[in-house]
Amino acid sequence: MSDLINKTSQFFSSGIIDLFIGYKKGRLGEGKPAFFTKPDQLSELIFDENCIVNLAVYLRKPELKKYSKIGILANFGTLRALLQLAAENQITDGQYLILTVADGKVLEFANLKAIEEYVANNLPKPNPERLALLKEIESKSREERWDFWTRELSSCIRCYACRAACPLCYCEQCLVECNQPQWVGVPPTGLGNLEWHIVRAMHLAGRCISCGECEAACPMEIPLGLLTQKLNMTIISNFGQIPGTKREPDYALSTFKVDDKENFIR
Amino acid sequence: MARIGVFVCHCGENISSTVDCAKVAEIASNYPGVVYSIDYKYMCSDPGQNLIKEAIQKHKLTGVVVAACSPRMHEPTFRKATAEAGLNPFLCEMANLREHCSWVHFREDSTTEKAAELVRVLVEKVKHNEELFPIKVPITKTALVIGGGIGGIQAALDIANSGHKVIMVEKNPSIGGKMAQLSETFPTLDCSQCILTPRMVEVAQHPNITLYTYAEIESVDGFIGNFKVTIRQKAKSVDHKACTGCGLCIEKCPIKKIPDEFNAGLGNRAAIYVPFPQAVPNKPVIDRNNCTYFLKGKCGLCKKVCPADAIHYEQEDELIKVDVGAIVAATGFDIKHSDFFPEYGYGKYADVIDGLQFERLASASGPTLGVLKRPSDGKEPESIVFIACAGSRDPAKGIPYCSKICCMYTAKHAMLFKHKNHHGKATVFYMDIRAGGKMYDEFVRRAIEEDDVNYIRGRVSRIYEKNGKLIVCGVDTLLNSRPVEIEADMVVLATAAIANSDSEELAQKLHISYDPYHFFSEAHPKLRPVETNTAGIMLAGACQAPKDIPDTVSQASGTAAKVVALFSQDELTREPLIAYVNNNTCVGCFLCQSVCPYLAIEKEEIRRRDGTLVKTVAKINPGLCQGCGTCVALCRSKSIDIHGYTNRQIYAEVSALFNRREYAGV
Repeated sequence: MSDLINKTSQFFSSGIIDLFIGYKKGRLGEGKPAFFTKPDQLSELIFDENCIVNLAVYLRKPELKKYSKIGILANFGTLRALLQLAAENQITDGQYLILTVADGKVLEFANLKAIEEYVANNLPKPNPERLALLKEIESKSREERWDFWTRELSSCIRCYACRAACPLCYCEQCLVECNQPQWVGVPPTGLGNLEWHIVRAMHLAGRCISCGECEAACPMEIPLGLLTQKLNMTIISNFGQIPGTKREPDYALSTFKVDDKENFIR
Repeated sequence: MARIGVFVCHCGENISSTVDCAKVAEIASNYPGVVYSIDYKYMCSDPGQNLIKEAIQKHKLTGVVVAACSPRMHEPTFRKATAEAGLNPFLCEMANLREHCSWVHFREDSTTEKAAELVRVLVEKVKHNEELFPIKVPITKTALVIGGGIGGIQAALDIANSGHKVIMVEKNPSIGGKMAQLSETFPTLDCSQCILTPRMVEVAQHPNITLYTYAEIESVDGFIGNFKVTIRQKAKSVDHKACTGCGLCIEKCPIKKIPDEFNAGLGNRAAIYVPFPQAVPNKPVIDRNNCTYFLKGKCGLCKKVCPADAIHYEQEDELIKVDVGAIVAATGFDIKHSDFFPEYGYGKYADVIDGLQFERLASASGPTLGVLKRPSDGKEPESIVFIACAGSRDPAKGIPYCSKICCMYTAKHAMLFKHKNHHGKATVFYMDIRAGGKMYDEFVRRAIEEDDVNYIRGRVSRIYEKNGKLIVCGVDTLLNSRPVEIEADMVVLATAAIANSDSEELAQKLHISYDPYHFFSEAHPKLRPVETNTAGIMLAGACQAPKDIPDTVSQASGTAAKVVALFSQDELTREPLIAYVNNNTCVGCFLCQSVCPYLAIEKEEIRRRDGTLVKTVAKINPGLCQGCGTCVALCRSKSIDIHGYTNRQIYAEVSALFNRREYAGV
């Protein structure tokens, strides 16, 4: 860890960065997002398997605009989020100093291409428990599935924590805030909840980088990630596009390739 | 407050026979916001239109709903009437009571009820309509013609003679195309070059035409009236301004055994060459792939002998940018070569040739100076078998379509052979004779009846050699499917006409659609046969589908008329029903960019007064946008909307349907 702290403080002292987004130890031992502006704060900086929060979510916050150059300590989900944000024209190559820790060593990424290569070599296999859960839901009849989701989503209190935690929900005006016309009902009732979660899942289809932050943030413990995960799996198996692995746009919903499968057209 | 007028049309009896129009008008008068409502027998007639105009002025209407036929039929009529009464024309909407209601239902109460509902939906929509104003786009009055065959030549001359500038781009060293290679033309048997070359010269000398030969299209941007095209002028290695076309370089060039493309591989040419003696421009280019100087760095003979010092080895490809207002694609076609037909002995028998090779053998300017000599040993053939539909109409070969020109040129070939060798034996294997066209069937009958060409209806299964003769095994389906074997000295395959190998690439550069066989697609097969789906880009000739010369020339003139009509205006007026971006909410993810089929979405930088960048947002190019709405559907933050079909309008329409019982007075 001292290596990480040393390197980061060098970046501060040489004036390369004036803000570093990383983690410090939280009350329950979790990695808590932390914003370091001076090298002497860095003694608190940690990075371990409990640092699961996706820090990319902060990059587009207006509060960060005053900093000239920002460094970020990226876990794997953050790296994928950075690539997806680049593909969506939200960040540019070289805009941030991007570090990660792998096998105890601090890695500094020279550019987004290096992140692309790192992500390609380290893509994790899907969690078997999640897959089993998805399979279980898929094996249900249409009516049972409907019941399952209406039951799960009925507990939603529309706090939009899922939206706030998602590094890719960066719209300045979310669709749910449109009231001319009001597409999605605002009160936390059955229909409005259903609309919101369907819209959220569709907006992340082909973009979700599977960091799991939405589900982790949900105070009602709704298994939200299953929706985006299912959509992603469909996209990967049909079109081969894996979100958050390319720095150039390759969006399944807006591209057509001649060899796209068309077996859904009947 | 909205003050809407509803005008229900009987359309004679088209609507009133199943819909109670008076009742619809009465129900509509109770809809909130409707201040005037009336029915009339023919709303599109002058008195009908006057009803609308008078009501707009008398009742100070803020919106008009005409419940009549399809907007495709009369929307312009009613919008014009609305404008004449002083109201913005885009505040007039049509409810389609004819196609959507009266024509598809019986006379029942529910039919009238549905009609009233359709009116209500449009009343709700028109409350949200905004004043819109037509978009004006300036036009660059220069046309680009891609391809210098007879199609391109005709289109270019017609446009140039109307007083507009034309830029012609031809990828070969000379214009003339396939027609320059032909010997005689059906159905008149006049010499192809004799009628073509004067036109080629006219193109070269026309003050309104700029000709780029040995050049290709590099990229095309922009939109109707305002295309920006980059032309790649391939290095000719010869300064055509200095060159006098004396031909000394060609004479001295030591590399002379290159298969001659113009003679379909039957003759040879030098590495520095003019494709044919009547070429335009009649000045050589160096084929760098075969020139010793470019391959080995030594030789330089042509440079030494050139009296005009016109040889420039160091010349490089040049990128020329031009602005044009319209583009004519006239890139022509290709044919399948005999290597596509192993069953007919390709590679084994030099005397199995394709139709274009026969043209060159029969042509006075060809490698044999018009004497029919077979390629293998130069003997004059006594018996020739012509096989029509070689590849065409053969789904097994992947070409299900008819190549259209083969029936006619096969008859012509057989005739040319018989005219050169009166005792020769000409046999044609055919599937059907398709000779639709002026004097076409007479031409084929003449081949059969006067020139004694033996037509056998049936296909050829294989060709083999025996005692120096080609044995053609086929079947005569008109004689009980009896197998036939014909001895021949030469076999001519009327091979399928296909799209150029680079047509797909060009279509993508032009953003025009193409069919499964890579021929370019027209906007409508019957009613818009010369335009593409991309406004401002037209088609001429066989790049669209196999065509003969008369059809190509007619289409080229048709295309020219379209271009000239476009150029007759100084500005293009377009309906403003296009997408627009809300800069406040757009986050600039540009995922809409790749979904736009018209490449109408650009980037726009929003800056403060001091020049600092606030953000980059999407911007719709009003000249390119066709208002399809795909971007609207894709935009997550609903930052894109379409004038005339805004989210608010559509939502109001849908909501009106959901809340239907409230006002339905039936």
